[in-house]
Amino acid sequence: MVALAGCLLLPFVEFRPNRIVSGTFETVFVAGVASWALVALIALALVVALAPGRVRGSLLLVAGAGMGLALLWALGVAAVHLQEGAPAIVRVSVGPGAWLVGLGALIVWFAGTRATASVLVRRIAGVAVLLGVAAIAMWGGLGELSLAREYAVQSRRFWTLVRQHLVLAGTGVGFGVLIGIPLGVAASRNRVVRDAGLGIASVIQTIPSMAMLGLLIAPLAALGLTAIGTTPAVIALTLYALLPIMRNTFVGLAGVDAAVIDAGRGMGMGRLQLLLRVEAPLALPLVIEGVRAAAVLVIGIAAVTAFIGAGGLGILVFQGWGQQADDLTLLGAIPMVVLAVLADVSMRGLRRLVVSPGIEEGTLT
Amino acid sequence: MILPPRMRPVVAAFAGTMLFAWIVGQQELWASVLGSLFPESARPVYPAATVAELTMQHLRLVGISSGLTLLVGIPLGMWVTRPSGADFREIVSAAVDFGQTFPPVAVLALMMPILGFGLWPAVVALFLYGMFPVVSNTVAGLEAVPRTVIDAARGMGMDRARILFTVEMPLAARIIMAGVRTSVVINIGTATVAAAVGAGGLGDPIIGGISVQNMAYVLQGATAAALLAVVADGLLAGAERLLTPRGLEA
Amino acid sequence: MITLRDVTKRYGEVTAVDGVSFEVPSGEVCVLIGPSGCGKTTTLRMINRLIEPTSGSIEIDGQDVMSVRPEELRRHIGYVIQSVGLFPHLTVAENVATVPKLLGWERRRYEPKVRELLGIVGLPPAEYADKYPRQLSGGQAQRVGVARALVADPPLLLMDEPFGAVDPLTRERLQAEFVRIQRELKKTVIFVTHDVDEAIKLADRIALMRSGNLEQYDTPETLLDHPASKFVHDFMGSDRALKRLGRARVANVMRTVESTTGGARSVVAEACGGSRFVYLTDERGVLEGWVDCKVLDAGTPPEEAGTTVDWHEAAVHPETTLKDALSRMLGFGFRNVAVVDADGRLVGEVSLAAIEGTMADADTHIANLEEGEVLGAIPEESPAERDELT
Ligand SMILES: Nc1ncnc2c1ncn2[C@@H]1O[C@H](COP(=O)(O)OP(=O)(O)OP(=O)(O)O)[C@@H](O)[C@H]1O
Ligand SMILES: [Mg+2]
Repeated sequence: MVALAGCLLLPFVEFRPNRIVSGTFETVFVAGVASWALVALIALALVVALAPGRVRGSLLLVAGAGMGLALLWALGVAAVHLQEGAPAIVRVSVGPGAWLVGLGALIVWFAGTRATASVLVRRIAGVAVLLGVAAIAMWGGLGELSLAREYAVQSRRFWTLVRQHLVLAGTGVGFGVLIGIPLGVAASRNRVVRDAGLGIASVIQTIPSMAMLGLLIAPLAALGLTAIGTTPAVIALTLYALLPIMRNTFVGLAGVDAAVIDAGRGMGMGRLQLLLRVEAPLALPLVIEGVRAAAVLVIGIAAVTAFIGAGGLGILVFQGWGQQADDLTLLGAIPMVVLAVLADVSMRGLRRLVVSPGIEEGTLT
Repeated sequence: MILPPRMRPVVAAFAGTMLFAWIVGQQELWASVLGSLFPESARPVYPAATVAELTMQHLRLVGISSGLTLLVGIPLGMWVTRPSGADFREIVSAAVDFGQTFPPVAVLALMMPILGFGLWPAVVALFLYGMFPVVSNTVAGLEAVPRTVIDAARGMGMDRARILFTVEMPLAARIIMAGVRTSVVINIGTATVAAAVGAGGLGDPIIGGISVQNMAYVLQGATAAALLAVVADGLLAGAERLLTPRGLEA
Repeated sequence: MITLRDVTKRYGEVTAVDGVSFEVPSGEVCVLIGPSGCGKTTTLRMINRLIEPTSGSIEIDGQDVMSVRPEELRRHIGYVIQSVGLFPHLTVAENVATVPKLLGWERRRYEPKVRELLGIVGLPPAEYADKYPRQLSGGQAQRVGVARALVADPPLLLMDEPFGAVDPLTRERLQAEFVRIQRELKKTVIFVTHDVDEAIKLADRIALMRSGNLEQYDTPETLLDHPASKFVHDFMGSDRALKRLGRARVANVMRTVESTTGGARSVVAEACGGSRFVYLTDERGVLEGWVDCKVLDAGTPPEEAGTTVDWHEAAVHPETTLKDALSRMLGFGFRNVAVVDADGRLVGEVSLAAIEGTMADADTHIANLEEGEVLGAIPEESPAERDELT
C-alpha cells in the first residue's frame, strides 16, 4: 500500500521517439483531471484498507475498480496529449509507475472480492468494470499507447499465436486428463502404481521446463523424431500436467469415506458401478482442482516451448527480448497472464457448477 | 551402520549433492559423453563456460533471490498472522493467490520493461515470484496451529514473541519448509529461462544450443539443470524432514 | 484466598458476566457450574487475565491481579483446559517442564519435580516422560495437562471442564485422583463444569451461575437442601437422595475385613472365622479375589471355592463416592465390594447395608424437606421469571 503511494512519484509513461529507442519519462500528472481522479482513488483504497469497517469489502471493490479504470483513462489522456502533433512513429508506452498502480488496483480488487460476502455486490461490480473498460476502449485514447500500436501492427499474427498457445496448452491438459485420471484411479487401487507413478511424476515436476525440452532430445532421436517443434512441446506439457491431475484423482479417491463405499457395496454395486456412481462424484471436486492446477501450470510452460519452435505467445516474448522491444514482450506476456487467470477462474467456476451441492466447499483444497 | 529413519533422506540427499558436485566438476567427462552421443558434432561441449561455472552462476542467481524471498516472505507471513498485520492478511493472500497463477515467463517479461536486462532484474523477478509459495505456506502453517495450544501457552504465562517462536513456528515448520521447497525448485526452473534475459546460468547452453542448432549444448545444459533441480529438491526434502518436530511425525 | 468483587465483562451488547462477587478460601475447591453460555469460562479466564474484566476487581491473597504483568501472573497460576492444549512438538516431560523453564528454574531443580508430578498423576515417568502427546490416550493427555499445571507448585489452580472430553469411566478415575491429589496438595482450585454430579463430588463450594449472574454460592449440601431459587432447585436435579451419596466417601462407611494369602484348607478355613466370605490377596496385600466359606465347608478344595478378580474393576477406593460404589455394586450384583488403595492393596469392604444406612438418614432428611422446607425455601417468583423457566 505504501508502495502504491510511492509509485505515483515513479515515471508514469515513457515518451519515445520510436518503437525501439528509449525515451523520456513523464509523471502521472500529464494526464490532467484523470490523474487527480486516480490519486483520489488510491487515497481511498489506502484509507479503506487501513480502516476496517462493515462496508470495507464493497469500498475496496469500488476503489480497486475505480483505480483500474482511472488508470486506463489517465493512460489514454496522457497518450493523446503527448502525441498531439507528433509524427506517427512516436510511441508513448506505459511506465513503471502505471504498472505498479495497475498491480495495486488488482490487489485491492481481489482483496475486495474476498472481503465482500454478497455475491450480488460482486456481480454488479464486475459488470460495472466491464462497462467501464468498454467505454474507455470505445473512446479510443488507449489506442494511442504504444502497446496498442504494437498490437495494431501484429494483430493478425497475435491471434494466431494466441490460438497456438491455447491449442498447445489444451492438448497438454487433454492428454494429461486422459492419462492422469486412469493412473490416479490405478494408484488408488494398487500400491506399486501409487508409489512409482506419483514418485516419477513428482520428479518430472521438479525438472525445469526448459531442461525437460532439452532432455527429450535423446529419447525422441531414438524414435527418429526431432526435438524441435510441436511434438516434443506437447509431450513435455503432458508430462507436466500429469502430476496434479494424477495426484488429485488419487487423493480424491483415497479420501472417500470407507463407510460410504461399504454402503454402496451393501446395496449390491459392482466395482465399476461403485467407482462411477459413488467414488467419482465424491472425488470430482479434487479432480477438477487438479485439472485447474495443471491448466495454469501448462499455460505457463507453453510459453517456454516457443524456444523449440512450437509457437504460442512465448514467441512474442522471446522476440521482444531479442529485439529489446518491450512492447512486443508485453504483447506476449500480458495475454499469457490473462489466459492463465481465465483458465483459473473458469475451472473454479466449473468446479462450483458440477460439484454436488451435498459436498461442502470446505472439503476442497 | 543403521540410520534412524528421519536421517535417511537427509544422508541420501547429502550424498546426492556430493555426487552432483563431483559430476559438475568433471568437464572432460561431459566432453567425452556428449562427444560419443553426438559423434557428428565438431564441438559437443558448450565453449563459453564450463559446466561448473554455469552451475555456479545458476546457484548465485537462485541463492540470492531465494535468500531474499525467505528473508522477506517468512516474516511477511508471520506479520499478517499477528494482530498488528491482520488488516493486511486478506490483501496479501489475494495478491499471493493471484500471483501464483502467473506464468513464470510472464513475470520475467513484465519485469524487463521496468528493470531492464541482466542478472539483477532477473534476481528481482525470481525473488518476487518465489514469494508466493513461501508467504502462502507460512500463513497456512501458522493458521493451522490449533487455537487451544496457543491458549494453553498463554495460560501458562508465555508472551506473544515466545509463543510465536517456541510454539507456533515449530508447529508450522513443516508446512513452511514445503513452501520453501516449492519456491526454490520453481526458482531453479525460472532461472533457466532467465538466461534469455542475460542472467547467465545453465539456461545459456540450452538457449545458445537452440540458436546455433547444436543439440549437444542443449542436452548438456538440460542435464545439468535437471540434476540441479532434483538434487536441490532432495536436499530441501531432507531439511523439511529434519525441521519437522519429532512429535509431529506420522 | 481469591476474591472477586462485582466483576463484569461485556462484549458489545452481550454481558457475559454481570457483577459477580464471591470469595474462595485458600485450600478449597470452588466449582463454577451453570448452563452453557452462562459465563463460567469468562469468569475463570478473568482470574488469570486471559480476559480483561470490563469492571470490578479480582484479588489473589489481597493483591489485585491488574497490578501484576499478565505473563508473570499466569506463571503462578495453574491452568487446565478441556482440550488440554499439550504442545504436540514437545515430549510429555518437556510439556510438563514448560512453566518451570519460563520461571527460569535450572534443570536440576525442575527435572525431579517433573518426574514426581508425572508419578502423582499416575503416569510412571520411566514409561511416559519421553512420549509425545500423539502417543497418549485422552485420559493420559489430560493427566499430563494436570501435571503441567501443578509442576511449579502454584497455590491456585484454574480448571475449565478438565474432564469433559474423556469417557465416563476415565472421568470417574480422574475425579478420584483429583480428590486424592487435592487432599495431598491443598491447592485453591476453581473448577468449571456443567456436570452436577462432578460438582457435588469435588466441590467444597459451588458457585451456580445463570446468564452472567451468580445464582447461589454455597456448599453442595446447602445447594441440595436449601436451594435459593427454583432455578437452583431444578438445576441440581430431583434425585437429591442419590446426589447426596455423591458427597459421602467409601472411607466413611467401610469396615475392615479378614483376608488370607490362601494356601492350605485349614489356613483358609481359619481366616473365614465364621463369616461368609474371606478375601484373597497376594503377599503384598494386593486383592486377588475371595473364597466362599460355605462352599469351602462343604468340602470343595480352596482353589475351587474361590473367585479371582481384577481389582481395577471389581474394587473401589476409599475416596470413591458412595454413589459410584453403589453403582459398582448394582452393576456386578454384589452386596459387598472390596476397598483397595491406589496400588490395589486391600484396606476394607463396604456393604450395601452400610450405604442403605446413610440413604435412610438422607431419606428422613429429604422427607422432612419435602414436607415444607424446600418449597418454603423457594422465594416468590415474579411472573416474568416463571415464564422464562417454562
Ligand atoms: N469473545 C467473545 N465475544 C462475544 N461474546 C462472547 C465472547 N466470549 C464469550 N462470549 C459470550 O459470553 C457468554 C459467556 O460465555 P462463556 O464462554 O463464559 O460461557 P460458558 O459458561 O463457559 O459456557 P460453556 O459451558 O458452553 O463453556 C456467552 O453468551 C458467549 O456467547
Ligand atoms: Mg466454557
